[in-house]
Amino acid sequence: MSTSQTSATDLRRALLDADPRLSRFNPLPRILAHDDFQTGTHGWTELIGNFDGNGNLRTVDDHMRDFRPPQLSSCTFFDTGTHGALSGTYALKLATRPIAGHTAVGIRRLTMAGKGLVQLETYFTYKSEATLGQDPANNSFGGVEWDGNLHPSEAQFGALTVATDVCGDGGTRYHTVARYRNTTLDNALDRRWVYPAVPEPTPREHVQGKASLAYLADFTAPDPDDWKPFSDPMELCYNEVPTKVNWHYLRWLIDTDARKNVELQINDRVIDMRDVPVPVYEEKYESLETLLNFYFSVRTHSNVRNFLFLDSVLISVDW
Amino acid sequence: MRHTQTAVLERGEDFSSDFATEPYEVAWAGEARFFVQRLEDTAGDVELRTQISPDGITWVDAENTPAVRLDGTMVTWPVREFGGWLRVSGTVSGLARLRIYLVCKG
Repeated sequence: MSTSQTSATDLRRALLDADPRLSRFNPLPRILAHDDFQTGTHGWTELIGNFDGNGNLRTVDDHMRDFRPPQLSSCTFFDTGTHGALSGTYALKLATRPIAGHTAVGIRRLTMAGKGLVQLETYFTYKSEATLGQDPANNSFGGVEWDGNLHPSEAQFGALTVATDVCGDGGTRYHTVARYRNTTLDNALDRRWVYPAVPEPTPREHVQGKASLAYLADFTAPDPDDWKPFSDPMELCYNEVPTKVNWHYLRWLIDTDARKNVELQINDRVIDMRDVPVPVYEEKYESLETLLNFYFSVRTHSNVRNFLFLDSVLISVDW
Repeated sequence: MRHTQTAVLERGEDFSSDFATEPYEVAWAGEARFFVQRLEDTAGDVELRTQISPDGITWVDAENTPAVRLDGTMVTWPVREFGGWLRVSGTVSGLARLRIYLVCKG
C-alpha cells in the first residue's frame, strides 16, 4: 500500500473515530445504510409471503403470514422500568408470539449497484419475556435451575438469525445465513452458530404443489437436520435474568462476487465462514435481478415470547 | 418531520372467542389510532376494548377509551395518554375474520 493510500485510510478511520455514532463500527469503504433506531425503523419491516392478484392474504403461505411487525422499543421491563438502548432510548425489537416454533422477522430491502464484499454490523441483544407468577415450576426450564445467578429464562430463548437474500447474474438466487442456536428444539442449551444446508422454500413451490408448510414451520430451512454447526458452543452475555440488556457487537462479511460467506465476528470472536456452504437455487428467478435483502429473525423454542433487540445496524460495501 | 408507523397486528385471523392482540410498544408515539376491519362477510358479533400496560405483561382497560362495537365493515377509534404499550382485547360471538391496524405518530 502506498503512502498516499495509507494516509487516506488513516484519515478515513480518523473521521469515523471522530463520530461517536460511527466509531463503534468498522465499515467497508462505502456505507449503504446506517440505521439508528432512535430515529425510526429505517426500512426494517415485517417479512410476509406473497399474495395473489386480489390481495387475498389467505393465499399467503401459512408459515410466512405472521412474522409480526417490528417495534420501536424503549427496552422497558417490569422490574427496573426503562433500560433504553445503547445510545438514546429506542431499539428495534422483533418479538415472537408465545408459541413454540413461532418466528418474527424484520427485513430490509436493497439492490446491488456492484458486486464484491458486503458487510452487516449491528449491536444486538436477545431476551426471553419474563414470567410473572407463583408457580415453583417456573424456577426450572431446559435443565437450567434458578440458583440466584443462572435463570431458566435463558433456556427459553430459541435462536436468532441474520441472513441475506441475494439474486443476480441473470436470476441466480441464494441466501447466506448465520443462526445462533441458543437451544435445541427440546430446550437444551446448544449455543452454536449453524447454517442451513438447503435453500429456503419459496411461495412458487407451494403454488406448484411441491411444498406445503405448517404455520410454525421454520421458513429458512424447515427440517432441523438441515441445520449444520459451524462453530463450537459460544457463550454470550444473556446476563442471567430476562431484564438486563447487554449489547453485543456482530460483524458479518459476505462476498456477492464469489457468492460466499467470508467471516462472522461476535464481540472478540471471529469465525472463518469461507468454507460454510451457500446453497443456490437450481432454477433461475425473474423479478429479483440485483436483489440485496437482509433479514434478522428470532425463533422461540418454548411457549415464551422471544425478543431480538437491535440498537443500530450499519451496512457497507467495497464497491 | 413527524415519525409514523403502521403495524398490522392481525392480518385476517378468524376469531370465534375472546382474544387479545400481541403487545405492541408505542412509548415513542404521541398519538395512536386503531382500525379494525371485518373481512369476507363474517357475521360474528365483536366488541373491542383498548388495553394498556406498564410492562407489556400485565394489562388493564384504558380508562379514557370506551369499548366499541364492530357494526359495519370497519371501526376506528383514537387512543391517547396510553403509556408504553397498546393492545386490543376483543369479545366475539359467532365467527369474525378481522384485520387490525395500529397507526402511531410521534
